[in-house]
Amino acid sequence: MIDARRLLADPTLDAERRSDGRNVDRGVGTLSGEGAQQRVERLRAPPAAPERALAVDERDGPTYHGLPVLKAPVWTWEIPAYFFTGGLAGAAGVLGAAAQVAGGPAMRPLVRRCRLVAAGGAVASAALLVDDLGRPSRFLNMLRVFRPTSPMNMGTWVLSGFGALSGAAAASALLPLPRPLRAMADGAGLAAGVLGLPLVGYTGVLLANTAVPVWQGTRRSLPVLFAFSGAASAGALFEIWPPPGPGAAVARRLGVLSTALELALSIATEAEAALVPRVARPLRRGPSALLFRAGQVLAAASLGTALRAPRGVGRLLRPGRKSRLHALSGVFGILGTLAIRFGIVAAGRASARDPLATFRQQRAGMGAREVLPERGEPRMPTLPGVEPTGKDTSQHGLSP
Amino acid sequence: MAPIREVGFFTDTTLCIGCKACEVACKQWNQLPDDGFLFTGMSFDNTGHLGASTWRHVAFAEVEAPLPGQGSPRDGVEGGARAFAELRPLGQPPPTSLLGGDIAPTHLETPVPLGPTEQAMGKFSWLMMSDVCKHCERAGCLEACPTGAIIRTEFGSVYVQPDVCNGCGYCVSACPFGVIDRRADDGRAWKCTLCYDRLKGDLVPACAKACPTASIQFGELSELRARAAERLEQLHRRGVAQAYLYGEDAASQPGTEGLHAFFLLADAPERYNLPPDPVVPTAKIVRSWDSMAAGVLSLAALALGAVLSVGRRS
Repeated sequence: MIDARRLLADPTLDAERRSDGRNVDRGVGTLSGEGAQQRVERLRAPPAAPERALAVDERDGPTYHGLPVLKAPVWTWEIPAYFFTGGLAGAAGVLGAAAQVAGGPAMRPLVRRCRLVAAGGAVASAALLVDDLGRPSRFLNMLRVFRPTSPMNMGTWVLSGFGALSGAAAASALLPLPRPLRAMADGAGLAAGVLGLPLVGYTGVLLANTAVPVWQGTRRSLPVLFAFSGAASAGALFEIWPPPGPGAAVARRLGVLSTALELALSIATEAEAALVPRVARPLRRGPSALLFRAGQVLAAASLGTALRAPRGVGRLLRPGRKSRLHALSGVFGILGTLAIRFGIVAAGRASARDPLATFRQQRAGMGAREVLPERGEPRMPTLPGVEPTGKDTSQHGLSP
Repeated sequence: MAPIREVGFFTDTTLCIGCKACEVACKQWNQLPDDGFLFTGMSFDNTGHLGASTWRHVAFAEVEAPLPGQGSPRDGVEGGARAFAELRPLGQPPPTSLLGGDIAPTHLETPVPLGPTEQAMGKFSWLMMSDVCKHCERAGCLEACPTGAIIRTEFGSVYVQPDVCNGCGYCVSACPFGVIDRRADDGRAWKCTLCYDRLKGDLVPACAKACPTASIQFGELSELRARAAERLEQLHRRGVAQAYLYGEDAASQPGTEGLHAFFLLADAPERYNLPPDPVVPTAKIVRSWDSMAAGVLSLAALALGAVLSVGRRS
């Protein structure tokens, strides 16, 4: 029986509220609602100042008190760091397979090194991805379904396959394997090269497949930027840690070309975003722009150092010390790709917080209007069991 | 699988009085934790937005334009109680106020000129809207979810299974309405469930049950659409030309192919913090995949070219 006095005077009631903010006395009520499972460790403390809305001028058009319309991405530093390691691993896998197919025995040191980088990068990527999850122990749920509408799901499949294959390939680089196993490792290296292709580019698609204006607005250039950024980072790494033999020259050529393309594509990405000027704002103003610009400057510096364009730099580091110059170019290159990826993610966060970016993009006809059926936008091919609305007989439609 | 019985909400914002009973009913029924009792200092809205622990949110916008039905009886018949009475949704019983039909604006006509506050109030009206997850026909969160934790239920609603969600956070960025959010201390994504447990028990969702003005109406989607069309026509007849429906079907909102929780609004969507032309991100993504394919194939060609060019030289 419920004691009314207990309900009125129990000092633990306040403690209940402070413990989980639900105002349910566990002695008299049960927690069984749809939100009862929500784990509460810390209630949001009342902030000293009211939640800051974006300073929006009324003349800019109507907004809701300047508050964001979208939720900012919840990802922490692990995700842009993964974009770097995943891109590096994927590009190393591609280069390793290319050297294996088209290069002679002289290229073996490059192949070996590419396999080590690919496997190491895949392990680091997996660790970063698991660490970013809200429930890391459930990371295997990612492989519970095969869902082409979700680039993250596709990417997890690709990374898993790539990790297994590049690990097998790297085994031959680390252990003295008997001949049949070595042939299998070579096969795995080739397959890892094929899977490295989507791995190096899909992260751009992953960002583009969001409601964040600057990411959605750069959906054509972003995957290509990420692909060449990945290749540039692999080239840069082999400048610092060059493989013996002619492989170093191969890595350098690919690295220089990719860094040049990375630079060009970063400009193209900004131009694509700037189709609606407000959407490009975080790439031009604020901390995210600083990162993005730093990435461009570092990429240019890496390119310049690699080609020794500013001759003075060579003399400064004592003439003849070519390797030191190359290492410097590699450091610039790696920092550049890191800055560009962190800059793009930071820009997305700023873009999601800016309601005017969403409103203007959609009012400019770049919301649903540009993908109406009559505009000829290609539609995702529907596979049996993965109909997009989830109303089919697949497990997406199972009752919970 | 049993056929889907599609139910949802029709939220008529012209009837909302901003009482927040829906917010409270939702919190209580679903046993959601509080938001920390913040004070935004910008309006009567101290909730701000929907979130992991806030599945209904009443928005308060102030506009410098009189809306019929708002204002005090002394503003005259059009702005007064009688106008309000005729704005009742169809099929609703007449008001049971003690004053009944006695509120004739002439009785309350003020004998003295209006003061500055009252004069200012004449040019002012409230827009209030109870916001909720839209349970889109094509849902960005559902299509982005990599684990299959987000599913379509037998009621046509979009549901996050808390025992499957691993907290990757992708749905948070994929929602074009900024509805779903991840709770940092819980680690998972949460949003309105359309009171799945109540629907299972043949009950109306808690917010619609608690709404005292029938601003939140619950029912079969086809029936709600018919009711909304009638209501819109009634408002247009009454001279509320700015009223329109937001997201009632695929024709009016092609980007989501229609919302299962749609709205009747009386101003631009931006005023209510709704996107004017939302689109499920997946609708645009094929071009992105194409562009990635072109990019990585040229990368493969470059890598092969680099190997061959050096190989030939050495």
